[in-house]
Amino acid sequence: MKRRSAWLGLSAVAAAGVSVLALADQTTPARGLHEKNPSFVALTNATVVTEPGKSLEHATLVVKDGIIQAINSNNRAPEGARVIDATGYTIYPGFIDPYSNYAVEQAGTPAPRSRGQRPQYSNAREGGNGSNAAIHAERNWFDTVKVQNRDAKGYIDLGFTAVQTARLDGIFRGRATTVSLADKRPNDVIYQAYARHFASFDKGSSKQQYPSSLMGSIALIRQTLSDAAWYKEAQGKQSMQGPVEFNAALDALARVQTEGFVFEASDEHNLLRAARVFSEFSVPLTVVGSGFEYTRLNEVKASGVDLILPLNFPAAPDMQGQFAELDVPLADLRHWERAPGNPAALANAGVRFAFTSHGLEKKSDFWANVRKAVEHGLSPTRALAALTTVPAEIAGVADQAGRLQTGYRADFVVSRGDLFADGEIVSVWLQGQESRLQEMHPASFAGDYSLTFAGQELTLTIENEGRMSGSLSQGDTRIRLQGVRTEDSVLYFHADLSSIGIAGVHRFRLQPESLTGFAGRAQNAASELITFTATRPEPPAADAPSKATAGSPEYVSELTWPNLGFGMRQQPEQANLHIRRATIWTADDQGILTDTDIIVRHGLIHRIGKNLSTPRGYQVIDAAGMHITPGFIDEHSHIAISQGVNEGTEPVTAEVRIGDVVNPDDIHIYRSLAGGTTVAHLLHGSANPIGGQGQAIKLRWGQDAEGLKFKEVPWTIKMALGENVKQSNWGDMNTIRYPQTRMGVAALIRDYFQSAREYGQAQEAYAALSRTERRRTAPPRTDYRMQTLLEILQGKRHTHVHSYVASEVLALMDVVEELGFRIHTFTHILEGYKVADEMRAHGANASTFADWWAFKFEAYDAVPQNACQLMEKGVLTSINSDSNDLQRRLNTEAAKSVRYCGMSEYEALKMITLYPAMQMEVEEHVGSITVGKHADFVLWNAPPLSAYAQVQQTWIEGRKYFDRQADLARRAEVANERQLLIEKVLSQGSEAKRGNRNGYRAEQPTWQCEDNHDVWRWTEFVEMEGAH
Amino acid sequence: MKRILGVFLLLVALPLQAHNLVPGEKQTQPILLQGGTLHTVSQGTLANTDLLMIDGRIAAMGKNLDVPAGTQVLNVSGQHVYPGLVALDTTLGMIELEQARPTNDLREVGNVTPEVLAHHAFNADSDIIPTLRYMGITHAQVVPQGRLVNGRSSLMQLDGWHWADALEAGPVALHISWPRVGLNSAWWERRSPAEQRKANAKAYEQLVEVFETAHAYHEGRLAGTQQQVDQRWEAMRALFQGEMKLYVHANDRRQLEQAIEFNRAYGFDLTFVGARDSWMLAETLAAESIPVVYGHAYGLPSRVDEAYDTAFTAPAVLAAAGVEFAIAYPGYWDSRNLAFAAGHAVAFGLPYQDALRAITLTPARLMGVEDTLGSLEVGKHATVIVSAGDVLNQLTQNIGYMFIEGRALDLSNRQLQLYEKYKQRPDL
Repeated sequence: MKRRSAWLGLSAVAAAGVSVLALADQTTPARGLHEKNPSFVALTNATVVTEPGKSLEHATLVVKDGIIQAINSNNRAPEGARVIDATGYTIYPGFIDPYSNYAVEQAGTPAPRSRGQRPQYSNAREGGNGSNAAIHAERNWFDTVKVQNRDAKGYIDLGFTAVQTARLDGIFRGRATTVSLADKRPNDVIYQAYARHFASFDKGSSKQQYPSSLMGSIALIRQTLSDAAWYKEAQGKQSMQGPVEFNAALDALARVQTEGFVFEASDEHNLLRAARVFSEFSVPLTVVGSGFEYTRLNEVKASGVDLILPLNFPAAPDMQGQFAELDVPLADLRHWERAPGNPAALANAGVRFAFTSHGLEKKSDFWANVRKAVEHGLSPTRALAALTTVPAEIAGVADQAGRLQTGYRADFVVSRGDLFADGEIVSVWLQGQESRLQEMHPASFAGDYSLTFAGQELTLTIENEGRMSGSLSQGDTRIRLQGVRTEDSVLYFHADLSSIGIAGVHRFRLQPESLTGFAGRAQNAASELITFTATRPEPPAADAPSKATAGSPEYVSELTWPNLGFGMRQQPEQANLHIRRATIWTADDQGILTDTDIIVRHGLIHRIGKNLSTPRGYQVIDAAGMHITPGFIDEHSHIAISQGVNEGTEPVTAEVRIGDVVNPDDIHIYRSLAGGTTVAHLLHGSANPIGGQGQAIKLRWGQDAEGLKFKEVPWTIKMALGENVKQSNWGDMNTIRYPQTRMGVAALIRDYFQSAREYGQAQEAYAALSRTERRRTAPPRTDYRMQTLLEILQGKRHTHVHSYVASEVLALMDVVEELGFRIHTFTHILEGYKVADEMRAHGANASTFADWWAFKFEAYDAVPQNACQLMEKGVLTSINSDSNDLQRRLNTEAAKSVRYCGMSEYEALKMITLYPAMQMEVEEHVGSITVGKHADFVLWNAPPLSAYAQVQQTWIEGRKYFDRQADLARRAEVANERQLLIEKVLSQGSEAKRGNRNGYRAEQPTWQCEDNHDVWRWTEFVEMEGAH
Repeated sequence: MKRILGVFLLLVALPLQAHNLVPGEKQTQPILLQGGTLHTVSQGTLANTDLLMIDGRIAAMGKNLDVPAGTQVLNVSGQHVYPGLVALDTTLGMIELEQARPTNDLREVGNVTPEVLAHHAFNADSDIIPTLRYMGITHAQVVPQGRLVNGRSSLMQLDGWHWADALEAGPVALHISWPRVGLNSAWWERRSPAEQRKANAKAYEQLVEVFETAHAYHEGRLAGTQQQVDQRWEAMRALFQGEMKLYVHANDRRQLEQAIEFNRAYGFDLTFVGARDSWMLAETLAAESIPVVYGHAYGLPSRVDEAYDTAFTAPAVLAAAGVEFAIAYPGYWDSRNLAFAAGHAVAFGLPYQDALRAITLTPARLMGVEDTLGSLEVGKHATVIVSAGDVLNQLTQNIGYMFIEGRALDLSNRQLQLYEKYKQRPDL
């Protein structure tokens, strides 16, 4: 009888649920009658999960005026409340999506710049905005909130009741707002007008050139955060150049240290990059993750950020066609298997995260993926926290949403069963009003009925296994039913009854009267109605609802660093070594030592000598017949760089840092180790006269970006001259940026350094002010661009200048001598042989190609004897690669100087070891096999510069990073792991196909000096032929 | 002795003159290379052996050869004598400066341009050419570029007054860039896998249609029903007549397999060019006698999970399986590194003799000139180089003499001359 009343109660709710604007409005005058709908509701006898990990059984949830009035642990409803029997149901706090674009302005998608359009270097200035079109910090997105029912439904269907939302466009995206998904006036749905600031690295719809690269975006963020701090401090003061400007964007960022940012990162490296740059300014950060966090778990944890995780687990790579796997990297297969375990890995590491439905191609996958995460080890409690309490804090509504508590918003989810196992959402309540997704108590018609029909005793059997079907039978006669379906708790079907002696097809309807009694009616073709009754035994009680528990998945894939086929299972141990009886090419004054031993201790070369005894506990390497060289050092490399090697937009971009975008996952690190290279100087490209700051790395494969950095190398910067910087080969539209001539290049460089000097003078002048004067005077604004140039003037940062022809080289030396500094190293310097005397007199070094020429006009006078002539004239010269291919075989490149101009092998070896070390001012540590230097060395099976030499082992600081024998073994393991994963994909059938299509990393291209396209505007990608 | 001096003067004195080098004079008197190590390619290595050249041919090889009166004798003892190196799959003479469009004659408009002949664009006065000779290369195949059916290649000798003079053989082959298979996963690729597959299938259909049309045209011409001449299909008729080879530029395993299947219907004389994944199909290629012009001797692995030396070891795999293959260094200025590319394959397991063959006799065979070029054999052209040391190794290669059909060549070049010029600049 009780259930009967529940059915009746339900139809009443269904009627009420349609109403809108039931809450009295506070400031809007009534139009017509004052609506005063009741809003007092009690859901009784439910399991109420008040917050993750806490629940009440047989509890009653009482809501009134959109607020939770009480949660009673007894099963009684207050007088006057509309009662809803929620027996057997679970009530969760409404879910909060902390990252959305609901109900506010949408980002535009600008058409790409066509070939006939000139580049745009500045943005429209209006309203005191910032100087870059990707900065929208001054926007408050609550300004544009308009309730969007259709969009809301997509969220509500998943159980969400509120979202944090902003326009997802640009780098500084403005201030988000947190809104209810209820269908109300904006005034009623805005829960938190000023939520977090949003940001990303992607400049979005901005048409301004700068920034075109990831490092440019990072530099812009750094400058903007610095500017905001400066602007705040400068308020009420005069700057030394007059009054402080008004700047709305900077003003809006005045309190970011308390307000915090939500930052969208495309992968775990960008997460770490964002964490680093924001932490420079002590700005708290929540990062919208990528699902790859588990691959750098320790670093992610150490970064201290909170996460917002999209649940967009990828569909398996397509393996349908034969050999389709040729296009599928092992990394993708691994990620397919392990991505659902990412939330569990983060939870186990103690990283706090929320979930978002953002980024899901099919929103309907959301719950399937939540459950998948649970199957992969995430506790249901943590999963619930990721949907309630954590996002409530991130969205700034923890005091009113995210848990079920008296006084909180009446936002909740009613489910049948445990949502984290196989439960389903039946209704979502927003501000005390129900949004019904399913019938709460659907009638189940499956079973056997006895019925008396037209005087005959029949048996009706209804089955419901996905599709409904059934039969009517009398004795042995069985009639199959057609069109079996239910609608609003009524069963419909039709059947031809001729075989039991009742003529014609009858259309039936049957509806429940009581738990066991049903009333039916049939209509025949003549429209005669036959009423009947049916009885069915009470169905057995449903099985106890399954309770979700964290699964423990078994993976066939490995997890390595980086997480790809030839990644490291762990960092190699630092070994103390006794290398015996090698031929040692020391690359210093010791020359070539035959039959000689090396002792390596604590990562350093400890002793070199003949017949040394093995210290206790040292590992012995018998190197008889082997050759040992120092690890090769490449002065000019572009490997291991993420999302753009050029910030080639403005003519001077000294503020951008390759060090911000080191990519530790680049397989070329490993391949170069296999070619004997241990140090690479990663340079900005050559698209502008003063490019970005360089970053030297040691090829410590498996380390993260910070672990790769060769910190002893003094600061460097890339400069460039000639065709690239004057945009000679960029097409006819690129003719408006100064400079377009070699004259202009020299003049521009002179101008910037002069300005940098004046910038430094202003700083000194401020430092010299008295304390009282300083109280009135704004400090000089930190300008990272000028600051970097000042470091060059002060000799703290060394220049590496991309250059080709004699005239430009002489011109630059002329200009900088006048400015009072020296060019450190000319790189490429193909016509160095023409001006070698002048270079030596200036004090510049040279780093050149072995034999490249004829790829452009300025390379037409290049000669392969260049290095010989430079060395002959006393210019310290190295051979560089500028190529991920050549970086693997610097030895045979250096050997070309033996071929073309008779350089000695030993001297040629120095051009790829000691001399580049000197050009990076780090010869104290590397570049030769010398006692006291880092134990960075290579074992060869033949004289190292020979065409027939092959690297056997490569060591860095006493750690073995490459071993050819281990590599050969690894190939088989990679093949085996691939095979297991391919079989797993193929055996999973359709489940493998579910998920996001574009869920894998895009391959980073092979960067070269001249690659200068906008990484944020891929449609403008111009493949420039002929690099360097 | 005087004569020897004379030749030396010829070889050494000219560099100091204009960089526009004069082609060698026709051989007028016998020349003896005395006492060198002869790398015959076809008959092994002969230490301390003489080689006699008469009238542009190799007249004799042996120890202490008797020589006719008036023979120039060059003592090359301790030095190494090889047949001239043959560079396949180059664009030499078709382009001078990559970023100077007026100098670029690589690619005609349209996807289907079988009618073009690479040698028509060959600039015998290109400053690039002497820099290849300097590295021992006497012949180069010049190949038109394109996207589907690219045109026809020829073999040039690198000492001509103009292309007609330089033309050694040709047209030799029709070149096809095989349609893409599989998926591109580069960061800028925004087409879905389905869209990519569709585009791949469409390109393949176009190729099939080209060959069906060309075939019908050929049959029509034979039957006399095709009266009018279509330059494109006319250019392809030699294929159907068995008089021209089909060179398929393809790298991916699936492309190679698809091309083999495709060719079953036609039975063209098929050669693969580039052929990055050919090592995966080595047994098949050997069984079907399909030669390979391998273009990735220094290649990076094309897939992230491939071993670092995958491209380096491919020649050794091909050799072990018995595939006939040449090593190429595709390009123009950079093709001069051909010998080193072969040396690199030796470092990764290719027997030395196979490496040498892959840049001499096999390319000559593939170009259809093995009767005259590619090895040191009596009766063949006196197209010979002399190196101070092993020609495949940067440390030892040093070409002292080059003869093409007995003509002593000037080994100078623009780069050497610039170097010599600035060596003369007085110190500051």
